[in-house]
Amino acid sequence: MVKNCNIICILCPNCCDMRVSFEGKEILELEDARCPRGLEYAREELFNPTRTLTSTVPIKSHYWKTVSVRTNKPIPKDRIFDVYEQLSSMRLAAPVKRGDVLIENVLGLGASIIATRSVLE
Amino acid sequence: MIEKDIDIAVIGAGPAGMAAAISAREKGVKDIILLERNPFLGGILIQCIHDGFGLHLFDQNLTGPEYAEELIQHLIKAKVPFLTEAMVIDINAQKEIRVVSRQGLLKLKAKAIVLAMGCRERTRGALEIPGTRPAGIFTAGVAQSLVNLQNLKIGKEVVILGSGDVGLIMARRLKIEGLKVLRVIEKLPYCSGLVRNRVQCLRDYDIPLHLSSTVIDIHGKDRLEALTAAQLNEKGEILYDTAEVIPCDTLLLSVGLIPENELSRKAEVRLDWRTLGAEVDDYVETNTPGIFSCGNVLHIHDVADYASQEGFLAGERAACRVRENQGKVLRFPVNASKEIKYVVPQLIREDCRETELKFRVTEPFENIRIIVKNGGETLFRKKFLKIMPSEMNMVKISSDKPLDKVYVELEKTEIA
Amino acid sequence: MNKIFDIIIIGAGVVGCSIARELSRFKLDLMVIEKEEDVASGISKGNSGVIHAGYHKEPGSLKATLNVAGHRYFQEWGEQLDFPVKFNGKLVVAKVKEEVEGLRKLMERGRKNGVKGLELIDAQQIKNFEPRVEGIAAMYSPFSGITSPYLMTIALAENACRNGVKFEFEQEVNAISRVNNLFRIQTAGNQEYYSRWLINSAGLNSAKVSRLICHNKHRIFPCRGQYYLTDKIDDLISMLIYPLPSKDGVTLGIHITPTVDGNILIGPSAEYIDSLEDTACTREVMDKLKREAEQFLPEIREAPFIRNYAGIRPKLFYPGSGVNDSDYIIEEDSEIHYMINLIGIESPGLTAAPAIADMVVNMVGEKEDLVLNDQFCPERKAPLIFAQQSEADQARLIQDDPAYGEVICRCETVTRKEVIEAFDNILGVRSLDGLKRRCRIMAGRCQGGFCTTRIVEILRDEYGLSPEQIFKSNFQSPLFYGRVKDD
Repeated sequence: MVKNCNIICILCPNCCDMRVSFEGKEILELEDARCPRGLEYAREELFNPTRTLTSTVPIKSHYWKTVSVRTNKPIPKDRIFDVYEQLSSMRLAAPVKRGDVLIENVLGLGASIIATRSVLE
Repeated sequence: MIEKDIDIAVIGAGPAGMAAAISAREKGVKDIILLERNPFLGGILIQCIHDGFGLHLFDQNLTGPEYAEELIQHLIKAKVPFLTEAMVIDINAQKEIRVVSRQGLLKLKAKAIVLAMGCRERTRGALEIPGTRPAGIFTAGVAQSLVNLQNLKIGKEVVILGSGDVGLIMARRLKIEGLKVLRVIEKLPYCSGLVRNRVQCLRDYDIPLHLSSTVIDIHGKDRLEALTAAQLNEKGEILYDTAEVIPCDTLLLSVGLIPENELSRKAEVRLDWRTLGAEVDDYVETNTPGIFSCGNVLHIHDVADYASQEGFLAGERAACRVRENQGKVLRFPVNASKEIKYVVPQLIREDCRETELKFRVTEPFENIRIIVKNGGETLFRKKFLKIMPSEMNMVKISSDKPLDKVYVELEKTEIA
Repeated sequence: MNKIFDIIIIGAGVVGCSIARELSRFKLDLMVIEKEEDVASGISKGNSGVIHAGYHKEPGSLKATLNVAGHRYFQEWGEQLDFPVKFNGKLVVAKVKEEVEGLRKLMERGRKNGVKGLELIDAQQIKNFEPRVEGIAAMYSPFSGITSPYLMTIALAENACRNGVKFEFEQEVNAISRVNNLFRIQTAGNQEYYSRWLINSAGLNSAKVSRLICHNKHRIFPCRGQYYLTDKIDDLISMLIYPLPSKDGVTLGIHITPTVDGNILIGPSAEYIDSLEDTACTREVMDKLKREAEQFLPEIREAPFIRNYAGIRPKLFYPGSGVNDSDYIIEEDSEIHYMINLIGIESPGLTAAPAIADMVVNMVGEKEDLVLNDQFCPERKAPLIFAQQSEADQARLIQDDPAYGEVICRCETVTRKEVIEAFDNILGVRSLDGLKRRCRIMAGRCQGGFCTTRIVEILRDEYGLSPEQIFKSNFQSPLFYGRVKDD
């Protein structure tokens, strides 16, 4: 079945609001893309959209109440809340260093949760 | 009380101030102090836990805290002295600074000062929204700090007024943390934040964006209970028959950032009414010789990397100023057509042959050409399919002659 | 059985606190019961903070007499109790010729009331005083002034408290009865208090409170007054700028008032409303305030506005009722002895408050021997304001206590020490609004943008408060709903 949708390309300031027709994993028609990168972006967004999840984890430390965290690579967009569930029960104590892996290969997605700030004491 | 002469004082250790201190140090000035009011370095970066930082400066996609740590590492490697929990409470045109910290009162007499105090958020009072004054109304940046740094749950059902970037980022942030984000309300007919944020913060999470709308009343005596929102016509007038009551307990305001120039004024720095920041030349030097301005205190940036780049320039130029006290130089004003909201720098020095202009447009335009002229000479000419006020534009210009008649204009073109 | 107080005062506004403070000169067990979480939470916070010279009201009326009598106390009270008082003078400005007659009448009334120094001045003299003010003539009143209505009330309450008066907050009185010649006062919070005397200075709720036991027909008609507040502005005006009072007698008109902190107030409007609690601001009136102020001070248009708010006047008459002013009701009830009602204490209530307190003390003194409390201390010291100290003193303060070296509020330069002192107030007020009134934190142009987070940190670190224990005002106004993720 042919489906239609709008995708805004955010690769450059033009931000083309593209009209896409697709069937299965194939793009049939792409309108209003002002450059060829739009097609690549549309394909990515339609068939394998990924995002970096960022959040915070409570930490016991001298000054800080939280440490900020993220996935070290983008994860499938539809798994954002699953991954969030994994980190939401986590509690940490100082020291934590930026880049420390807090959950390795979370949910087998090939990405890890890492700390994005050092909380040393 | 400690009194001390110093070469350079940098006020504010955010993306601009840290960069300024680093570059001044790298230019060989050792007698520097970087002053920060918070107990930590990094300024607002620390609470910006989302990604999208560092793409220009570090060629990586970093979060705010990571970007800050990159700069902090540079700072430490370069041995830049800094003082945290240090509030500058006074400053004057003679470049005397009064600093309050737990260590005592510090009086500095600097050869050069870099202003990098950042900005503050426009508040409800400035918006003049009618209604009651209950708990539960936060500016988006305060909410960001309370949620991300203090781990505090600021509400349950949230409406966001204003589609500035911080508001969009917070919409996603609160949604991820399980709060109900009912809608974002924007008085303009277009989103004032970056498109990327509109897509990844609102669309991804099905958060509705109501354009040409505003909050016309606030209800609830103790804690916020509801808002009344209404649509606006093309003239921006309220259409009262569209009024709608939205029950909610929290309102975030993301309605603009204001460069924080109270100290600049004390130093007799002239401000530009368009940017609300200092009027500077191509060295980002203000009308008070030896006082430089960079980052959000100069004009509001949408990307931290560019604030840092401006900081590097300020630090470098402040370092030069320490070495040589230049005599009188002529500065030529930069002018622009009415579609251009502002241009920084506002002035260009007589000896300048090459510089970068930063500007924003007043409203969205499509199919236009940006032209920069210097008298009869065209220095820059480029077509834009779309240009948005949310995006700061940067244009490099150069000439063999003095840049004494620089004019930035926007020309409508006919493009299919 | 509960402790029996000699006198219980209902309402901790400026009137209730003045009475409490003046009664604390005597050996009496005193208590003040307040519905809200802090003093000055009703009429006393939502007014212009003006010390009136006393030429507005009908000669011989309580309003006029108590105004003029109350005015005399301010210099002394301001010094004794350490609250700001400034006699910066007032101009009542005429815009057109026809209004000059009104100025003359006002002067005549002032003369009858015993007000000193009133003078009719011309357009040029207006410019000499206030170069930015527009008018053809004005009445100059040199002894009009300003105070901070809430700092004054706080000062009175703290001094009363120091002299033994007990304060109970967030206790709304909902029943009063006579038991064995005592008053039994019950509150919505299920508390019971007993006293020999009962003084009802419940402001907007004074009629309601009196009807809990008295058989009078007093009724309060709430009349809202909205205000605009600007950021601090230098050199715009230094005096109070008033129009001629409105003909219907409802108000003194929309005026422009410098505050003791250097901001400028525009207002108040006058709107009869249905609710005693509806302090909302409305678009229509907000626009009107600006328009009217611009007529006298065109440059106010450019002023940076930081806040809107509204207060409510306790009027005793309704427009169109044929009455255009009514006097204060300050009397012992004819049936319920030992109950003193103070009803309809509107403008100039702030100025009259010291004299009202005197009057009430005399009413009590007529019925029983008041014995001076030899422990009474008339002085009260306000917490030190770091920003107002000399450089050398600032340096010394930080050396003695590093908490003075931590600036929490950028706009108003408030230090951690001042926040802690404000939070440690002897009345035990713990709300953020209470903190704001006491040390100006969150009151500046950023309205808490920088300091809110720091205050939360202090309350948590110094006082161990959990997020749920932080309130804007009363217990129904939490700032937070716990933590994002539980610790």
